[in-house]
Amino acid sequence: MTLTRDPAPAGQQAPDGLVGKALRGPADRSPLGLVAVPLLALLGALVVGGVLMAVEGVAPLSAYGEVVRGVFGRTRGLVDTAVIATPLVLLALGITVAYRARVFTIGAEGQYIAGALAGTAWATVGPLPGLPAPVLVVSSLAVAVLAGAAWSGVTAWLQSRFGASVVITSLLLNYVAAAVLAWAVRVGMRDPGSFTPQSRQVGDAALPDLPGTAIHLGFLFALLAVPTVAAVLRRTRFGFRVEVLGANPDVLAATEARPSRTRLWVLAVAGALAGLAGFVEVAGVTGRMTQAFAVGYGFTAIIVALLGRLRPLGVLAAALVMAGITVGFDEAERVFVIPSATVGVIQALIVVFFVTGDALSRRRLRRREGA
Amino acid sequence: MTSAPPAVVTGVRRRFGAGPPALDGVDLELRAGEVHAVLGENGAGKTTLMRILAGLDEPDEGSVVVAGEPVTEFTPRALRERGVAMVQQHFTLVPTLTAGENLALARPEGRLRPGARRVRRRVEALAQRYGLPVRADVPVDRLSVGEQQRLEILRALDADARLLILDEPTAVLVDAEAEALLAVCRALAAEGRAVVIITHRLAEVFAGCDRVTVLRRGAVVCAGEPVSAHDRTSLATLMVGAVPAPPLSIERPARSGVIRIALDGAARGRLRPLDLEVHAGEVLGVAGVDGNGQAELEDLLAGIAAPQQGTVCVEGTEMPVGAPRERVGKRVAYVPADRYRRALAGPLSLADNLELGRGPSRRAPRGRREEQAVPALAAWDVRAAGPGASAASLSGGNAQKLVLARELGVGPAVVVAAQPTRGLDPEAARMITERILAAAADGAAVVWFGAELDELFAVADRLVVLADGIATPFEPPYDRAAVGMAMAGGAGA
Repeated sequence: MTLTRDPAPAGQQAPDGLVGKALRGPADRSPLGLVAVPLLALLGALVVGGVLMAVEGVAPLSAYGEVVRGVFGRTRGLVDTAVIATPLVLLALGITVAYRARVFTIGAEGQYIAGALAGTAWATVGPLPGLPAPVLVVSSLAVAVLAGAAWSGVTAWLQSRFGASVVITSLLLNYVAAAVLAWAVRVGMRDPGSFTPQSRQVGDAALPDLPGTAIHLGFLFALLAVPTVAAVLRRTRFGFRVEVLGANPDVLAATEARPSRTRLWVLAVAGALAGLAGFVEVAGVTGRMTQAFAVGYGFTAIIVALLGRLRPLGVLAAALVMAGITVGFDEAERVFVIPSATVGVIQALIVVFFVTGDALSRRRLRRREGA
Repeated sequence: MTSAPPAVVTGVRRRFGAGPPALDGVDLELRAGEVHAVLGENGAGKTTLMRILAGLDEPDEGSVVVAGEPVTEFTPRALRERGVAMVQQHFTLVPTLTAGENLALARPEGRLRPGARRVRRRVEALAQRYGLPVRADVPVDRLSVGEQQRLEILRALDADARLLILDEPTAVLVDAEAEALLAVCRALAAEGRAVVIITHRLAEVFAGCDRVTVLRRGAVVCAGEPVSAHDRTSLATLMVGAVPAPPLSIERPARSGVIRIALDGAARGRLRPLDLEVHAGEVLGVAGVDGNGQAELEDLLAGIAAPQQGTVCVEGTEMPVGAPRERVGKRVAYVPADRYRRALAGPLSLADNLELGRGPSRRAPRGRREEQAVPALAAWDVRAAGPGASAASLSGGNAQKLVLARELGVGPAVVVAAQPTRGLDPEAARMITERILAAAADGAAVVWFGAELDELFAVADRLVVLADGIATPFEPPYDRAAVGMAMAGGAGA
């Protein structure tokens, strides 16, 4: 009598539907379709956004001019873009690895919070006070990476043990993480000297700025992570298994490795990158944990991974574009009377147009083949 | 009105891909008031023919006349309106709905979802009328397989089918259920309907059928002859053919005596405890109709699944389960029956597919990997755009050659080949057969799961027939009729 049972393969396939469709990419896998559809989607979103602004009585072109100036017209704009892009790149790279294996986790947000909390806890109320700064930075990052991986690993365990859907459990664990965050800043690791609920400053664990800039070291991590993840995917056996798992789990089981184990590693890698992103954000930007720490980067990163076509370099480009739009509109809102929701509308429109564009290109190809 | 026969099929041809035609000029006449058996080995074309009759497939050539009028539109709906209903081998019920809701879904009365009492009455009325009891208010996934089958038939009869096609209806039933089903079929025929039963089991043909058609490799070898004109032996011979086996193209040394594979009371699923030894240089053929334990035996030999009892040993040590790289390390080559499901990752390149289960943990750049794949692809004559082409772009024969190029690459100690030539053109089939036999000549122990007896007779040194999970051994010279009988579950006769 054994308690383990085979996870239903059908259950694994089910969530493929919508997300899988969105991730299938352009119909002909041509380099043109890979890049043209995201660019056209960006253009279309900006046009519709412009119309909306015109309705509000704002001249769209001068508003967009201000957006561009907001990013490129001043050092602060470029710095902010890099800083916002940093967690997006790290999170989206993890999602890229997972989605390439067709493991559709949406738990990046929770893993990001878990990493940030664990790293901050280690740095502020850890068991080894008085560590030299470099050691403290590295050890805190390591703790954050492990915490993110563990948080994500729960999803893998729930799937292999109970056959629970990765989509559902990873999503729900986000809310668990948010609740832990609320407890931690109020009770668990609250700064006793503060009136508002927040943790202590991470102090020596803070990331230094890159020499000659106001960009924190984390941006370098993000830049280095891009070729690293690309190399892991292309040049290692793990990367190969990711592709095979994504192509056909039965083939993986018959020729390479247990799909459940590969899935665990995939989720652990995604969680590790998310955890890293979390503590990098604390140590580079906020300096401490507050209730407002979770701003939804984990969800935006799914869009970034999607727009980046699940390719590391594409992820970098998409993250910079998304961050740039955010920063530019922030500036434009100061000059013009634009509702602050506009940037959200435009980002959402990018996704809508992107998915529609891919679907249209696939349908055209089918027609051509059908004729 | 009943003067026209329910269905007449003339000269129907159907071919899938480049392989041999699935149907090669088939004629069939079905009459009202009869139970008609369609017999044949796996891949003989039985299901394809019936799918055409039900509008699930379209013939390349030939005509189909249903209820006196030629069919022009081959869709399930068009044929359902003409009174043809097919119960497929794999059920097509919605598992979370009740029996009544499934019936209401198939034939809605109005736009609203009908009330629970109403649908229950509908099921009960139908069930009583046709003598097919089904629990009406339980979700289908909690019904037994037999009940689901009966519900499928009720659903077909609900649309007042004049021609009812049952694809291997008894394969999933226990004997008593199968007998009851045959009785219902007789009753339906007595009402003036035509019933077609696709089956492998000879006993059923004699228990309840009026006429019998036997298909062999897409052609009719027995056209609607009365069952009374036949006996088990004659039908078994018709099913498996009486063509002399072609001579072996490779001379192989006698078995060397080293035991490479040893099953000791190994059982799993439908496979009953089995003792089996395969020696180096020997080819063991496994024959049998689908669903009699071959799939389980294949899984055991390939290390996909562990035996529920007993042991599976390869060269004296236990077969690693769920550890495919260890399986490859033990030089066990595995050619699965379903190559697209288990052996090939379609979206990946040929070079990547050759690397499955092999290759170092640090991979070379793509260009070099593809370069390294070229000799193997050339040696196996895999015709493709290049090593970077996707495996999904290959034709069936080339896809199978790719699998063998990988699995037989290093001289294997054991070859587990499940229907390695299924669906292939003769040239590819011949090449693959010769190379597997060459591996045996080099000292590999080969287990060859076959669907066609001719092929098995030609390649196998020994034969095991699986029926109901029980293995019956045969030694050459093979008695075709006896093997056919064993396959049809009539070993006791």
